[in-house]
Amino acid sequence: MAKKIPASSRRDFLRRAAALSVGAVVGPYIARDAFAASRDRITIYHSSVADSLHPYKHSSSPIYGQWQHIMEPLVEYDYKRKDYVGILAESWEFQGKRWVMHLKKGIKFHNGAPLTSKDVAFSIERMRDEKGGSLQASNFKDVTEVQTPDDHTVIFVTKQPLAVFLDRLENRFIISKLAADKHGDQMDQNPIGTGPYKYVSYQRGGNFVFTRNDDYWGGKANIKEIVFKKVTEDAARLAALESGQADLINNIPVHEVARLQRHPRVKIEKIEGLRMFFLAFNVAHKPFDNKLVRQAVNYSVDAPAIIKNIFDGIGYAINGPVGANVLGADPKFKRYPYDPKKAKELLAQAGYPNGCDIQLYYSAGRYPKDTEVCQVVAAQMVKGGFRVELISQEWAIFWETSGVNGGKLPFYYIGRGSLTDADTLYDQYFRTGTTKRSNYSNPELDKLIEEQQKTPDFKKRTAILQQAGKIIMDEAPFVPLYNLADIYGVTKNVSWKVRPDEKVLAWDMKIT
Amino acid sequence: MVRFRHLKVFMGGCILATLFICGVAAPLLAPFNPQEQRLETRLQAPAWMGGQSAANWLGTDNLGRDILSRIIYGSRISLLVGVTTVILAGLVGCFLGAIAGYFGNGTDEAVSKVTEIFLAFPFLLLAIALMAFLGQGVINIILALMMSRWVQYCRVVRGEVLSLKQRDFVTAAKALGGKDFYILLKHVVPNTLASITVVATFAMAIVIISEASLSFLGLGVPASIPTWGSMLNEGRSYMNRAPWLTIFPGLAIFITVFGINLLGDGLRDMFDPKLRRQ
Repeated sequence: MAKKIPASSRRDFLRRAAALSVGAVVGPYIARDAFAASRDRITIYHSSVADSLHPYKHSSSPIYGQWQHIMEPLVEYDYKRKDYVGILAESWEFQGKRWVMHLKKGIKFHNGAPLTSKDVAFSIERMRDEKGGSLQASNFKDVTEVQTPDDHTVIFVTKQPLAVFLDRLENRFIISKLAADKHGDQMDQNPIGTGPYKYVSYQRGGNFVFTRNDDYWGGKANIKEIVFKKVTEDAARLAALESGQADLINNIPVHEVARLQRHPRVKIEKIEGLRMFFLAFNVAHKPFDNKLVRQAVNYSVDAPAIIKNIFDGIGYAINGPVGANVLGADPKFKRYPYDPKKAKELLAQAGYPNGCDIQLYYSAGRYPKDTEVCQVVAAQMVKGGFRVELISQEWAIFWETSGVNGGKLPFYYIGRGSLTDADTLYDQYFRTGTTKRSNYSNPELDKLIEEQQKTPDFKKRTAILQQAGKIIMDEAPFVPLYNLADIYGVTKNVSWKVRPDEKVLAWDMKIT
Repeated sequence: MVRFRHLKVFMGGCILATLFICGVAAPLLAPFNPQEQRLETRLQAPAWMGGQSAANWLGTDNLGRDILSRIIYGSRISLLVGVTTVILAGLVGCFLGAIAGYFGNGTDEAVSKVTEIFLAFPFLLLAIALMAFLGQGVINIILALMMSRWVQYCRVVRGEVLSLKQRDFVTAAKALGGKDFYILLKHVVPNTLASITVVATFAMAIVIISEASLSFLGLGVPASIPTWGSMLNEGRSYMNRAPWLTIFPGLAIFITVFGINLLGDGLRDMFDPKLRRQ
């Protein structure tokens, strides 16, 4: 640089300009290529971030996790204790067709207003307003009335005794009625809750930003500012993490795990996910109306081999109708062993001595490595005597009334998310009339499902669910496969406890 | 000049012939069943790159299938889709183009408006929309590509016919009492064949790439049929760990399209009267 600068020629000027602009572009990245750049802010790149500011226009676990920074539910499931704990609710009573919730006192919204039962009733009313855009209305389909006898009591009246109601109340966040009244049709632009963080800004497809609520009623959060950014492409999220732009990312592809574990600044956090993957039959279609055929499929699919080879061993085969962490699991259950010979025998007994042609539907790209999984399943089933054609459909066509939910698909690969309670799965898939997903109908099973929904006692309910699970295992209306791991990449100096429910909650994070 | 011109046609023809042989004789040429999975030997490097299995010349993929065999079988889909689409689109496009150019007036107006509507959509976007609507399958992919490819033929043929119909031999045929369709078929269309051939060869290259693109996007043929595009897609996530999953099908697409373009280029030179006179 000590060189004497000659009268600037055009070429020289261009050269310098180029160098300068490269510096300008690269410089900030080099500066950020370090540990979490600020102790006051954490940047989270997530594949799924709220698509609008309507707080109830979604029903997906990661998005619940984002809203939960601003607004809170009455109760929450504690995965360690395997029971519900009160957040805004102090206590509750189950009285037959009534659920009485007592609210905590002294909780204030971000606008200073105290939390009252009116706010709860107002929030539930908005959740039930499907025309207004809410996608959470079905949680209250059994509720006939919400009463508010005083400022700190809310009573839910249900059609029949509903022991599982706490499960429906999870993730139902309470917003301020006062703020909504004040802002009118602009209320979504001014989200006011009781949470540990306050809303700052939101751009669709851009950043969703929160700042710490210093007057929070509970323990104060460590980090001042939280930024969520929606980045759907796996490779882009990875690049952001590795370059220091993001402090935390979700959904690391399994084949990148080994490489990232050797990375100097990044650590991997993983946990058994709550999404259960399975192959579902629709028993209204031939040949799956025959129990022997369904069992034959169970014998011919080797889930452990899929985990080992497709997911590099990062996965958890399911023994029984639900995973081991789900309420209603029974350690005595065993999955159908991989036994293609037995499958062929069963198929012959069922009247298909020369094998059987079937189609396996899936929606490519929806779940990790779904195409590969289905190809392996197809190849495994060939050994069990099936000839399998693979058909991939667009998600909307696959899932809606043209597909799974219209009862049109005889055999399909699917994952059921946030599964903590076997009731959710049994009710949704195997109870007569709830959905058309499997069209399975068994009065004996229906009775058990109904009975456990009326039983408030966890132990008794678990026993009934186990009984139901036994029937399901024998009847084989589906092929339970595995839970996968939720894999996150985190900058090493951020301490964070990974949760099994796909939520990234920042208030117990620390930057060291 | 003349030698080189023929060289292009010759080289392009050779590449296309090789592709054709691969497609037709796939079961004889492929060392393995392209669908046979061997999970225990997945992601093996090609034999000459230090891979474990000498039998897998180009290595194995994420499910332990032989890549060479899959590329050989994949040529079938490329070829089938390429040739059928080009012929079908050619028939539709030439027919509409010929009547539009010959009859003019209202017919021309109507056909031209329709071609303009089709041209207004980006080609691949239209194909993607059609595939999403029709669903997976070889026939659907041919239909989708045909729907978006006939327009080029139509425009070229219409232009040629517009100029041909003013020529003396057409007037003579008319004077002798020839019917319109007889004149079109016997006198006009044969004179457009040179242009059609050139359009067809280039269209084939585009169609093969489009098929690969659609398969890459998961909108092509079912996953159980090996295609070059779906091989690229499946190998994409293993780029760091096993680059041969994407390199070889990519090369196959590149060489094929290069060959067809060479052929088309050569044919155009051959048919170009200006170059021929030199």
